[in-house]
Order: sequence, then C-alpha cells, then structure tokens
Amino acid sequence: MSARWLIGKLGVMAATLLFVIVFNFFLFRVMGDPTAQLARLPQATPEEIDKLKADYGLDKSLGGQFVDYMGDTLTLDLGISQRSREPVWDEIKDAIPWTLLLVGTGTLIATIIGSWMGVAAATRRGTRTDDGLLGFSLFTYAAPEYWLGILLILVFAVWIPIFPAGLQMSPGVEFSSWWAEVTDVLDHLILPATAMTLLLLGQYFLIMRSSMVDVLTEDFVVVKRATGLPWHRVVRSHAVPNALLPLVTIAAIQFGLVAGGAITIETIFSWPGLGELNFAAINDKDFPVLQGTFLVFSAGVILANFLADCLYFYLDPRVQSR
Amino acid sequence: MSALLEVGDLRVTHGENPIVDGVDLTLNQGEALGLAGESGCGKTTTALSLMKLLPDGLSQSGKITLRPQGLEEPINIDRRTERGMGLVRWRHISLVFQGAMNSLDPVQRVDAQIDEAIRLHERVGSSKEVRARIDELLETVGITPALGHRYAHQLSGGQRQRVMIALALACRPSLVIADEPTTALDVVMQAQVLQLLEQLRERLGLALILISHDLGVLAETCDRIAVMYAGRIVESGSVEAIFGSPQHPYTKRLLETLPVIGGSRGLSAPIAGAPPDPGESVEGCRFRPRCPYAKDECLKDPPLREVAPAHASACHFAPWSEWPAGNGDGGGGAP
Amino acid sequence: MSGAREILLGSWRARISLGVIGLFVFLAIFGTLLAPYDPDASSLDLLEPPTWSHPLGTTENGADVLSQVMAGARVSILVGFAAAIISAVIGSVVGLASGYFGGWTDRILDSLENWFLVIPTLPLMIVLARIWNPSLLVLIAVIGLTSWAGTGRIVRAQVLTLRERAFVERARALGARDRYIIKTHILPNTLPLIFANTVLIVAVAILSEAALSFLGLGDPTRISWGTMIENAFDSGAPSEGAWWYLIPPGLCITLLVLAIATLGYLFEEYVNPRLQEVTTI
Repeated sequence: MSARWLIGKLGVMAATLLFVIVFNFFLFRVMGDPTAQLARLPQATPEEIDKLKADYGLDKSLGGQFVDYMGDTLTLDLGISQRSREPVWDEIKDAIPWTLLLVGTGTLIATIIGSWMGVAAATRRGTRTDDGLLGFSLFTYAAPEYWLGILLILVFAVWIPIFPAGLQMSPGVEFSSWWAEVTDVLDHLILPATAMTLLLLGQYFLIMRSSMVDVLTEDFVVVKRATGLPWHRVVRSHAVPNALLPLVTIAAIQFGLVAGGAITIETIFSWPGLGELNFAAINDKDFPVLQGTFLVFSAGVILANFLADCLYFYLDPRVQSR
Repeated sequence: MSALLEVGDLRVTHGENPIVDGVDLTLNQGEALGLAGESGCGKTTTALSLMKLLPDGLSQSGKITLRPQGLEEPINIDRRTERGMGLVRWRHISLVFQGAMNSLDPVQRVDAQIDEAIRLHERVGSSKEVRARIDELLETVGITPALGHRYAHQLSGGQRQRVMIALALACRPSLVIADEPTTALDVVMQAQVLQLLEQLRERLGLALILISHDLGVLAETCDRIAVMYAGRIVESGSVEAIFGSPQHPYTKRLLETLPVIGGSRGLSAPIAGAPPDPGESVEGCRFRPRCPYAKDECLKDPPLREVAPAHASACHFAPWSEWPAGNGDGGGGAP
Repeated sequence: MSGAREILLGSWRARISLGVIGLFVFLAIFGTLLAPYDPDASSLDLLEPPTWSHPLGTTENGADVLSQVMAGARVSILVGFAAAIISAVIGSVVGLASGYFGGWTDRILDSLENWFLVIPTLPLMIVLARIWNPSLLVLIAVIGLTSWAGTGRIVRAQVLTLRERAFVERARALGARDRYIIKTHILPNTLPLIFANTVLIVAVAILSEAALSFLGLGDPTRISWGTMIENAFDSGAPSEGAWWYLIPPGLCITLLVLAIATLGYLFEEYVNPRLQEVTTI
C-alpha cells in the first residue's frame, strides 16, 4: 500500500524527534552541571542559588527532573532565558519566521540555480563549461559562508554602498505603507540570502550533475531521441524530471548544513533569527536558550527531511504504488 | 522495385578504433533481415547509426538511403542534419530495445508516451481521435487499453515489451529495428513476442531488422540473415541458405552452439577465445585466431563476395561444400 | 600503496594541491618561528593597510596580520587532522561492528549512526563545545565525536558486501575466527575506502574548527584563522574597509580546504573501481 511507506516515514520522524529531546536532557544534566554555571552569577548567595535550583527543578532526583523535562518540552515550556528572563519559547517563536525567510529564500534560489548549473554541466560533460562549473562549486564549498558574507558586506555595503550591512529592517523608520516595509525587508534580505545561496549552491549543483549524468545513460533517453524529439526537449521534459528525484532525497541529507549556515550568516548580518539567538546564547552561556535552539534546529531539520520524503512520494510514481 | 534501405560502406569509429568497419546492407519493403553475432560485434551500433543515434564520441560515415513507399524523393540519412533526422525518426524508422524496463520514461504514463510520439509527427485532430488510435495500437499488440494508463513499472516484462512495440508502430513506419527484443524474456514470452512481430509484419507490410545473438530466434522470423563479426559482415544470405549450407567458419560454429532437439544432451562447447577489441589490429581475417581452418592465406584481408546466388561470404575458402574436421578452435596458422 | 603515489603525482591538480597542503603543514610547524612579528604583539598602528613593514597590514590591536595568518595554520592543521583521525576510528569501528556482526548490534549502531546523520552538526558541536571550556582538545574531541557517521555508513555498506562474498564464507567454513577474518579479509578491502573518506573529513573538520572559532568557541590562547575573522568582524573591519585583515584568513581556509578536497575526490575516484577487486594480506 502506498500510504504505508509515508506512515513509516512519519514514524521514523517521531522516533528521531523523541530521541533528540531525550538526548537534549541528558546532555545538559549529565555532562555539565548547571549549578556550576549558576554559581558564577555575580553576588549569588547560597540561598539564592538554592532558590534558583528549585526554580529550575534541579533539587529533584534525576528521574524526577526527566519527567518534568519531558512534560515541559512537550508543552513547549523550554525554560527561562538566563539573560533576558523571558520564556525561551517566546524568543524562539519570534525568531523562527526570520530564519525561515532567510533559509527558505536561500534554499529556493540555490535549488533553481544549482539544478540549472547541474543540467548544463551534465549535458556538456568534460567540456570547459563543465570544468568551470565544477571549479566554481568546489570553491563555494571550501570558502566559509560567513567569510563570503563578510566579503559581500565589504563590497556591496561598504565600498559600493548599495545594500545595508545588517539587520532585517532599517531601524527607527516609519513606513508609509505595508509595501514599503516589505521592500525594506527584501533590501536587507539580499546580502544574507546571497551568502546562504552560495553555501548551498555547490552541493545542489554536484548532486544534480551526478543525477543527470546517470539519467542520461538510461535507455529511455535514447528512445525519446529516437522518436524524433529534439534534444533540448528530451533533456527538459524527460531527463530533468527523472534527475530531480534523487536530488530531493539527497538534498534532504544536507539540511543540517542549512542550520549551521543560518547560525553563522545571521550572526554576520545581525539577522534576528534562531541563529543570532543561538550566537547570543553562546556568548552569554545561556543554557536554556542554547538547549532550546538546538532542539528547534534539530526538529526543523527532521521535519524538513520528512517534508522532502512527502515531496518525493508525490513525485515518484514508483513509490506510490509500492 | 528499388530497395527500402540501402547501406553502403557504413563505418563507425571511436576515435581511432573501428567499431563498424565497412558494412553494406540492402533491405526490401516488407522484408525481415536478421543481424546475428556475439556481443560487441557491432550489431547494435549498426542499428543506432541507421537512425543517427550514436552517442557523442562515436562518428559514422557511409551512405544510408531510405526509400519508403509513397515518398517521391529518397531520404539520404547520412546527409541529414539532426533537425532533419527529427522528421525521419519514428515516422519512417523506429526502434524496439531489449529490456524495456528502462526504455520507457519511468515517470510518464505509458499512453502519454505513445501520445507524445504521435503528436511529434502528425497534426492530430481531437484528443478523442488520438485516444482511439492509442487504444487500437495497444489492442494490436495484445494489451488491454486500460493498462495504457499505467506506469512502466506497473507492467510485467512481457507487457512492457509489447508496449514498446506498440510505441514503435505509432507513426506507421516502414522499417522497425528490434534490438534483442526477446533476450530479457522467458521462452514462452519470447515465442509470443516473435509471433506478434511476424503477424504485424504481415498485416502492416513492415520491414524488420531483427538483431540477436541467438540464431534460433532469427530463424523463426527472418527472411535473410547477416552474420557480423568484429565490426564486419562475414556472411549473408537467406535463412535456408545460412542454416542449410553455412559458408563461413564463424557461422558454422554459431550454428553448432544451437541446441538441437533429438541431438546429444551435453552443453555444446562455446567458441574458444574472444573477439578482438576495437583497438586491436589484426592481420587479415579477423576470425583467424579462433578459426579451426585458418591457413597462411588468411593473413590477407578476405573480401565479402558472392559465393552462391544471393549468398555472400568473407572467407577465402568459400564456397564450402562440406566442413572437414578442423584443428580445434583457435590458433590455426601462423600468429 | 603504489596507487596512492600515482594519484598524488599524476595530474597537475593533484600536484598543486599537494604543494598547497605542504605549504600549510610547513607553516603549521614553523609558522610561529618564521613569523616576522609575535602574532599577539600589539602596536600603535591600528588597522593599518599593507605597508612594507606589515605586508598584510595590522589588526585592531596593531598586531601584524601576516604573522597571525602564519601562526594560525597550526590550529587548523592540528585540529583538522586530529579530529578527522578520531572520527575515522570511531566511524570505522562502528561501521565494522555494525556490518559484520549484524543483528541487534547492527540495529542499535545503525540507528545511532542515522541519528547523527540527521542532527544538524554545527548546532550540536556548539552545544558540546559550550558545555566544556573551550580549548584545542575540546575542539578536537567535539568535532571528532560528531563527524564519524558518514564514515560509519560507508564502512558498514562495504563490510556488508564483503561479508556475503564467497571467500569470507569459505574462511568461516574452514573454521576461521572472526578476528582473523576481519583482519585478513575485511580490513584490507575496506582501508582504502576509509582512507579516501578520511581525507575529505579533514576538509570538513577544518571548516568546522573555523566556524566554531569564529563563533567564539575556539581556543582563546591561540590564534586561528577562524578567530582572526571573528576579531576582524567584531572590531568593525568591514565598515572600516579593512580588506587586508578580512581576506587573508578566509582565503587560507578556502585554499587549504580546496586542496584537501581535490585530493580527497581524486582518491575516492581511484578507490571506487578498485572496490570490485578484492585483496588479502
């Protein structure tokens, strides 16, 4: 039954997520004693430490703490930020849309350009175009995305000041209309999204190229050509759709890269997403926030993987009738 | 009446190396020609070059002329550009591959693939017309039209092969090339597909080039057979002539490998050795290193010549009225 | 491994890559000795563009950029190679055990492996690095402990294929013990694969170290290219247009990773067809 495959994937997703949540708990409780961190708070008297311990539930047994933790997490109570004293979930909730905007834009553009490049390289295998594209993608792979981001700022925000160097909106400005606000955000989005795109471009290019090369060796490509179909149509209407299928699966494995890139790129551009939240928490040693963002990043990647599986299910008739 | 297909001195090279080394063929309307030989002898390459479908890296030369009935001017395939070939392919010549699993686009429904082929070459009327035509094609090959709406992987091997045949007939070509159409099938399916091809030939007056390493398969459906070895034709003639009185040692050995009902039960010995690589240069007759009858004379290149009416052989010592015991396989004569 | 030599000296790409890696390894060892200035030494020339006395200009503290770049090679090379080796060992052991012994061992280890593959690596590394106090050792441990899953999966696949091969069954029928089979049959046919993969892991490890250092989780007592970029960015180098400070560290990372990745892909290409041939010691 076709749906069974999908339900199976759903089950895997749930199990992986559960494992992450459990892992998260043990990571912070067992490996590092938060009490030690708390003790570093300036002028903390023993009574205050004890009270904080009680607040964080650290005075209970490990089992008790675990039960509390599971209950809290599943109701989205991720604790209180040590720095801002706000609920962690609130801060995360506000940050998620910005990260989605950045990551979504970057992924979309990287997929489109990367696939196009991949097809171009595969249909011109061994030529200078192919070599050039391979060299370019190897370069974007090797260059740290935050460094590229900084160079983008240097060139396009400092030397030739076309774009803003950071933030998601011009600060302190009253916008005349909703549209003006949107264009302002887009203006701020361009450089960070470019950095994100460059990060992923090489990967998607390589995957698509390899996939196309495989597809082009298949018999049906010869048959399509034999039916009199012009080559560009054979490529566009038959080879590419078949090559996109492995792209979906393999690209999904790279989603972790996206999360890492979000952290470094948002840091550079002061983009108010999960990445910047994470970065601030690193500096402040704000463990509840670190824990929370790690959880959300992991959940995001796992969810994205599942969505990719769904997309694959929708696209590939062979899976649908399994 | 002029021949449907005339091929003169067809050569295909991979850089320096010859894959097809001077092949001449003639095929008449409605005739079935079998192309026989081991893997790598150049049969598939020959077939692909008739439609100019060779992959990059291979270059072809030689004259290929097609004279479909009803056309005033002959089609000079060798002179056609890729765009020009787009009008010839499938409309006048089509192709059936072996192992049809990957011969059909996995993500496109089967009837859509036939539809696409038809629309490429004809200005069709309503979609109902096309639908009816597709259904008729499928029925002709013994597939219920409902199956047409499926994807390739949802059909059995035999069904897929039939669909391939239906697809090949979609634009009513004069010539169909079938490359190992039964190799991936079991014996029962094999017989059915061959029978189908034969019926279609009679009904539609199709000319057929059937490629196979299995002479037995060719014997059933073909009028004439050409045997290829190392890129050349070493013998050609009618089925009766080839089977009844083979005129080339290679053909003789190929026939010996066919199991005979009532004959001995043991596995017949395969032909020792292997065909030469395209890059290897062999002095004289290509088959000499494996030939039990080879002599010094075989160091000279044997031409393909007529040794009996409508029966040609590329062996110096043809015509052979009878086959003496040889020196065993291989190594006959000077190296 | 004569095959390795023929790759290394074969194409011009391989030779250049080898040269670049050699240069950086040389700097890793002798960089601090050869640097014209003490990398940490501050001066009054703050954020100066390149001059004859400071060919790559100065930092926000007046330190010499060139000297920092030269000194920074050590951290990248050290952490990159050490973490990759740890990762290779863990991955190989897990993959071997998983593929060879099958059953529950496989089920547990394979799930663990898949989990590590799905989890976003940098966030995990950040969490681990933050729990402990940042130092070189912590960096190596954190990167090594989180990067092994890729190797594990490849090794497992290879071992699974090998296990079914006739020569292993024969050996077992003859009464050979597991340890013997692994040593003489499985390992020699898996090591080239592990090697090729590890080279690529070195590249990944170097990028990971740079990212962690950039985020402030690097060893505070050492200069690394990542921390250079961090310092440059924090001190406003972009808005000052201080390209001499911003470009070199990132360029070094890029070149080193490019060189290693090129070699890695060459090795991988070489190893793949060879996997069909099977050898025994």
